[in-house]
Amino acid sequence: MAGRAVEATAKEIGVVDYGSKEPSAFAEMLGGLIEANVLARPEKKRDFDVLVARVGIFATDIAEGVTLAFDSGKLTVYNGLEPRRTITIRAETDTVMTLPNLKIGVFGLPVYYDEVGRGVAGKLLSGKLKIDGMLTHIATLNRVTRIFSVQ
Amino acid sequence: MAIKAYSDEWVEQFKDEVNKSSVYKTAAKGWKWTVGLVVEAEPEKNFPESRGLVMDLFDGEARDIKLGSAADAQKCDFVITAPYSRWKQVSKMELDATMGMLQGKLKLKGDLPTIVRYTQASKELTKCTTRIPTEWPDEQ
Repeated sequence: MAGRAVEATAKEIGVVDYGSKEPSAFAEMLGGLIEANVLARPEKKRDFDVLVARVGIFATDIAEGVTLAFDSGKLTVYNGLEPRRTITIRAETDTVMTLPNLKIGVFGLPVYYDEVGRGVAGKLLSGKLKIDGMLTHIATLNRVTRIFSVQ
Repeated sequence: MAIKAYSDEWVEQFKDEVNKSSVYKTAAKGWKWTVGLVVEAEPEKNFPESRGLVMDLFDGEARDIKLGSAADAQKCDFVITAPYSRWKQVSKMELDATMGMLQGKLKLKGDLPTIVRYTQASKELTKCTTRIPTEWPDEQ
């Protein structure tokens, strides 16, 4: 009985679904990371609950992508890049895994002046990190970065 | 002289390499969890039984690394599992560990935000295996 109650609670608090019956390892990694962040940190949950956006992430060196479809407190993670994306991030896996390490500073903005931030900014300037939709959806990008950040 | 892969001597050498690495020492500052590496058996590659490496890592130092069973390694806070030939690819720098995890070639179990915070440290940990002159059982 107690076991069932625990199971039900875990299901109720699940916030991530997968668009495929067989999510890729990349999809599970990003979905799992966001779920853990959102369940552990109330400030991230607040951002997550209001975010409506479709974010594509493409790792160029393994030629694999995922689409994160945020919908006001629910996230569906799709294998591959789905249409109608708000933002698309393209970079090598190392850079993709650096993005969650961006610190969040005052006013909830990502910090680009420490070592990690400078590295990310440098990759943006050199074209090694490309973010389609960045200029037109800067507030969304900042919110996604806050949800993503493990710092 | 080459050391037999995943033997007690190899594990001892691995621990020395981790403790010699200044990159690891810096990148793993604050790390306080155990890590298990499961090397799955591949009898056709002359690696008939799964083995486990149980790593007691603390604040940039390898306090202890022991050879055990796969079950021993699976009890650790973080567990990375792959068949023997995948680990060999990692050790020969033919496969990047982060890429391998994102492609599902290496399976990771553990708290994802923590491991992502220490991506650099885990990369260096696997790089330490590349510095051990290794005798591979399928090359004998």
